[in-house]
Amino acid sequence: MAGENSSTKIFFGRLSSLKGMKMSVKLINPMNETLVRVSVPPARLRNLEGKTIGLLDISKTGGNLFLDRLEQLLREQFQVASVVRTMKPTFAKPAPQVVIEQLRGADAVIEALAD
Amino acid sequence: MIGISQDDDVATNEFRRQLATTFAVQRDPGFALSRAFDLSFVPSLFLLGRDGRVLRSHFGFDKSTLNEIAAQMGCTPVAEEFDGAPHSKPGCMSRHLEPRVDDESAPAPVIGSAHGVPASIVEIPDGEDPFEYCFQTFGDGLPVIPPTPERIAHMLNGASLERTEIIARVPPCYGEATVEKIAANAVMAGCVPDMMRVLLPLVRAVCDERLNIHGVQATTHFAAPLIIINGPIRNELRFAYRQNAFSNVARANSTLGRALQLILLNIGGARPDGIDMSTLGNPGKFSYCIAEHEEANPWEPFHVERGFNRQQSALTLFAAEAPHGISEHTARTPEQVLKSISYALATVWTYRLCLGSDALVVLSPEHALTIHRAGWSKQQAREFLFENTGVPLRAYEGAPDAEGSQMVTKFQEILIDGDRCYQKFRSPESIRIIVAGGTAGKFSAVIGGWVAGPRGSEMVTYPI
Repeated sequence: MAGENSSTKIFFGRLSSLKGMKMSVKLINPMNETLVRVSVPPARLRNLEGKTIGLLDISKTGGNLFLDRLEQLLREQFQVASVVRTMKPTFAKPAPQVVIEQLRGADAVIEALAD
Repeated sequence: MIGISQDDDVATNEFRRQLATTFAVQRDPGFALSRAFDLSFVPSLFLLGRDGRVLRSHFGFDKSTLNEIAAQMGCTPVAEEFDGAPHSKPGCMSRHLEPRVDDESAPAPVIGSAHGVPASIVEIPDGEDPFEYCFQTFGDGLPVIPPTPERIAHMLNGASLERTEIIARVPPCYGEATVEKIAANAVMAGCVPDMMRVLLPLVRAVCDERLNIHGVQATTHFAAPLIIINGPIRNELRFAYRQNAFSNVARANSTLGRALQLILLNIGGARPDGIDMSTLGNPGKFSYCIAEHEEANPWEPFHVERGFNRQQSALTLFAAEAPHGISEHTARTPEQVLKSISYALATVWTYRLCLGSDALVVLSPEHALTIHRAGWSKQQAREFLFENTGVPLRAYEGAPDAEGSQMVTKFQEILIDGDRCYQKFRSPESIRIIVAGGTAGKFSAVIGGWVAGPRGSEMVTYPI
């Protein structure tokens, strides 16, 4: 159930008086049962050398500070081939297709939430 | 009418089955047809004359255009205003123009279907308490009524649609909210079958892209969808709008608000221990539903202001924080009452940030009366609040890093009582006013919104 620590096992017990009681034990599933296509993530990169790294700024305050420094480190210390920078028009909505397309082809993408 | 599909047979047939299309659909492998019409986007629509000439073309989705074309063909309107779909969408780039075609074999996701699959049956192990089972498996941390087939059949008496019809896909997991699934959650919340009249348009409205429930459900902010009910349905279904308007006073308010939250949790998938990342949450996530006290509102009801007939019932959704109370017992003029409210409005989101969010003012009948008695219209009250809500420039001194301080160049400077201030809101329309609550007590409330406007969340109103 929501809010419970998954490592904690709570004993709810069983009501022995319910055994054999005549009440419906079938329920209509109220949960989401929509089938979704599962994508397999690509294999983890072994190193960053010669790779193209996408940096996605979700447009929150300070995101550029974090990504500027990250870009510098990627270029100076990890010899990446290129860095692709793009930004969501608003952090409050999923990235539009045009932003996703800009990141297509990158070997890995790092997203800055910031604040 | 011929539909042209750029997808493969499997995806096309599935799409046709789910939409129950009655027109012929032709596949376009290799995109020869797409190229012949030189289209850039899907969906694209071409109206051809008898000689095959293109009389009219349109790209993307636009309800006005669809209805215009229908009228041109002598048909009644085909796109309804309040079906939950946006008024217009630009569409996607056509497949034949995509730079990458090597993954063309991947089936396209199926969208736009009208019917979903029937819900599965959950069997509870022998001897287990169904209430305890449901408590642990579904819901909001409170007991729910087990959604048995009998109870759902009873609930479905309140809906005229087929049980597998999809009303909307609920973000952020985009679960299909079929009539049956909505009914199951309504049962769990304790709704009466008649409440399906409100729940179906409510689910459409909550998935309206302008409200952006995807963001509301996933944000770290406090926002939760507040339901505001207007019109005759308030009395027909016994919504409370007098004393304790925000509280636990009526089954209608409590169960409708709870049903919406259960739908968002169970179908939308924004679990409070998972995708819903709200730092502090909001007690409104148990249930957040009020009705306007139209009988004590000296002005036009809120839904009339939103463009509806007084006799038309309507629901409004606002991505809202919890109510912040304003106690003002001694003010005798509109200016003094509204000044008290403006000081609360100035603190919405955070004191120094202006233009960021909208706000709802819930006037108590006594406060509304004081303002109206002096001859003020609701719009005058709103403009007064707009002109008198601001943050003094001195509040930014010595706080260069504070939220809002770095954005002052975008703010509008005004004078309030001789003080140089930044104007808090973008326009008078950013402040909405409703009247609710008991007729005794000079207490009003300010409710802050989430990120305002097309970049965040916009208020939506739907007919019931």
